[in-house]
Amino acid sequence: MTRERKILRLLAVLGFLLLICPPVPAQSLRLPPHEKFVLKNGLTVLLMEKRGVPLINVFALIKTGAAADPAGQEGLASVTAALLRKGTKTRTAQQFSADFDFMGGSFGADAGADFTNVSAEFLTKDLSRGLELFSDAVLHPTFPQAETDKVLTQSLDGVKAAKDEPQSVLGLYYDGYLYGAHPYGRPSDGDELSLKRIQRDAIVKFYETNYAPGNTILGIAGEFDAAEIRKKLEETLGAWPARTVTSASITAVPPAKGKRLLLIDKPDATQTYFAIGNIGTRVNDPDRVAIRVVNTIFGGRFTSELNEALRVESGYTYGARSFFDSRKAPGPFEISSFTKNETTAPAIDLALQVLEKLHKNGVTEEQITSAKSYIKGQFPPSIESSGQLARRIVMNEFYGLGDDEVNQLEARIDAVTPALAKQIIEKHFPLDNLVFVLIGNASAIGPAVKKYADKMDQRPISDPGFWPPSAGTPK
Amino acid sequence: MKTIRHRRSALVLLCALGITASAARAQSQEFPVSARTLKNGMKVLVQPDHSIPNVALYIFYRIGSRNEHPGTTGLSHFFEHMMFNGAKKYGPGDLDKVMEANGAANNAYTTQNVTVYQDWFPRSALPLIYDIEADRIRDLTFDPKKIASEREVVASERRLSVDNNNFGLLEEQLWATAFIAHTYQWPVVGWMSDIEHWTMDDLKHHFEMGYSPSNATMVVVGDVSPEEIFQLCEKFIEPIPSHAPPPPVTTIEPEQLGERRLVVHKPAELPLVMIGYHVSKTDDPDFYALNILRSVLFQGESSRMYQRLVDKDQIALDVSSSVDPAFDPTLAIITALQRQGVDPQACEKAIYEELERIKSAPVSDQELEKAKNSRLVEFYREMQTINGRANTIGTYEVFMGDYNKLFDAAKNYSAVTKEDVQRVAKKYFAANNRTVATLLPENQEKAKQ
Repeated sequence: MTRERKILRLLAVLGFLLLICPPVPAQSLRLPPHEKFVLKNGLTVLLMEKRGVPLINVFALIKTGAAADPAGQEGLASVTAALLRKGTKTRTAQQFSADFDFMGGSFGADAGADFTNVSAEFLTKDLSRGLELFSDAVLHPTFPQAETDKVLTQSLDGVKAAKDEPQSVLGLYYDGYLYGAHPYGRPSDGDELSLKRIQRDAIVKFYETNYAPGNTILGIAGEFDAAEIRKKLEETLGAWPARTVTSASITAVPPAKGKRLLLIDKPDATQTYFAIGNIGTRVNDPDRVAIRVVNTIFGGRFTSELNEALRVESGYTYGARSFFDSRKAPGPFEISSFTKNETTAPAIDLALQVLEKLHKNGVTEEQITSAKSYIKGQFPPSIESSGQLARRIVMNEFYGLGDDEVNQLEARIDAVTPALAKQIIEKHFPLDNLVFVLIGNASAIGPAVKKYADKMDQRPISDPGFWPPSAGTPK
Repeated sequence: MKTIRHRRSALVLLCALGITASAARAQSQEFPVSARTLKNGMKVLVQPDHSIPNVALYIFYRIGSRNEHPGTTGLSHFFEHMMFNGAKKYGPGDLDKVMEANGAANNAYTTQNVTVYQDWFPRSALPLIYDIEADRIRDLTFDPKKIASEREVVASERRLSVDNNNFGLLEEQLWATAFIAHTYQWPVVGWMSDIEHWTMDDLKHHFEMGYSPSNATMVVVGDVSPEEIFQLCEKFIEPIPSHAPPPPVTTIEPEQLGERRLVVHKPAELPLVMIGYHVSKTDDPDFYALNILRSVLFQGESSRMYQRLVDKDQIALDVSSSVDPAFDPTLAIITALQRQGVDPQACEKAIYEELERIKSAPVSDQELEKAKNSRLVEFYREMQTINGRANTIGTYEVFMGDYNKLFDAAKNYSAVTKEDVQRVAKKYFAANNRTVATLLPENQEKAKQ
């Protein structure tokens, strides 16, 4: 099934997010050796040689992401990233694609809340050409007006297309409703109004302000010769002029108080899609491994308490889960699922009961043991391919986690006790303060879901934007 | 068209079938495959790889929605769900709990052609996995309560992937229109009224029909030795008796003699068009040329269709093609998600013009080489992981009849010429051979009135 459906399908993968972590024999759970050095211009480089297949993966992280989008111009970081390949000082967009595609390689660039990433994959034999093309896009983009217009209007239609699939936009409404005006509440790919406000000048400025070697971490993994690649790097990304960048800090937001509910009306929906939760944790939270163990039990695998209750025992849904979307500052925590209109309230009731039970009864020693084995057993395939490894070492560097994030994972998992799990539940899993976001047929489900919150907001899915409603939104 | 048990991982099935020469040869030397057919007829393929302490185990059953009948459509997929709901030793709920407690994860998917079970686990769980797999193949049980709740789960899955998904909805209608005789005409997930009406007897009959060990192929890749796998198979799998395979699907879809069209009106933001062309089954010499043709047309931003529809004319947000692995002649589907406000026929027209262009003049040397390079990188990407290899080996074995063809695909791809590409374009992408499905946003139509 070779389905090259680039933009859209990516949005559709909710369902089951496998929470992955390390294996069983202690020694095997280590990151393969890799080296780190800093080029003269300030670019941090991480290299990992990995034999097996003649592929090379490059993953560059620019330490500025969508959280730095100016209010009202959501999508700026993403559009800037998307335009890197759309014209450079020596290549048109078409030439760049033709050159990259000819190698059979792939190139991608995108912005999330905390950072922008640019990645590429190509054959070992194409190392010189691959690196040259990669650095051409990162160092010399020209942001031609015509291409800018194209990317902006395409992104705008992309937002519309996403709204045709409720599951793919649930998280955007949820983040918006949970964080309000805070940068984490903004849709990283923009919305129907913000994308119309973005001008080429702003894109150029965003690029010039944030794309700099000192603000970038570059990871390369695959089959290559380290000495050769060092030399090639000096010739390509080493020529990137140093520039001072003030790295953006993101303020932490305290969890929401009380209960509030946003109902997004999609009149033709036969199923309600819901997310419930509050502000969660930072990536480097000292409790992160214990949280992962507890969340595996609660909503992070097929036999989790949530999925057992909502799918296995009641048949309300195809899937129910919980997830900590941890970021530089505390990111969202959400319980999510979907069910037919008629069982909307019973399914939400049940999800809340499972949450209450977690607080009341905690988790058993047997559950903890099982979750530990599960996390360890499922971890190795997450650091198997060059693409995964390049990304992993860069992320560890960016979030200040280091190799121990992998190498000590098993020991850290083993250290989780029932007593600690109890503290984790109290500290990190919300109970009385909850934010609800539902997408569904409002006339069918509205009356039944009012009871969950003191305050209820409602708007049609066809209104531009997510939440809060942008200025100029039609009433 | 593929329906999976739960969306744990987005597994891309058929990338597996696109590869190239030196690649395959190198892989065959580096990772030899050992094969054995058990006494009950199940074929077992093992490829050791000790780079991580894990194992990927796939069991392909040659049964899918093509083996179904009106009234019980979707039964193969429902049955796939029931395979997780209790057998003699591991009762309802036990299978998943025991597996996860031992570090293992599982999933499964059903297509028109096959039902595939997947286990991913640390090698320490090896004997347990065999015990579980043998238990459910031999002694599956059907608990009426589980049938009732699982029926609801599948209905929810259908709402998610069809009712509330424009691509899923339109594709379902496309197959139902393009096929009038052959069983590819109904959806893998089943019609909603059939989902509501399956009986216990239907399930039992399906088990008897499709789940003979001789109707299955097992592929094991990872931190194992062939000897230990064969021993486990002898102990756990071989004693399970074989029985008759599913009756052959004898219906042959008659040649399509003219264009068919259908329209779906639905509240939606963007219009969508899908065009299906009848093409050969997977195990056909045209397979390689057809893949190269699709690469030239659809793969990457430099591809002809992307350049034309997305970049130049700016009438589509995305354009892609797909051909699923199939035992019988199937469909190549072109999908274009249109830009808002664009005349729905504009995309269709541009697609036909590009198809005509490729029929009337050969592709360039550069395009041909690019397509082959893309297939090569795809192949290596699959070969990087134990999961990718298990899937690829199994797909070749099941759909091409022999996993060794994996190592020939190389030379088969490099042998594709410009003339071959042109020939398959003419052979399959003809107006009389197409079915056109269009989804028109209802709100937009109303707004125009």
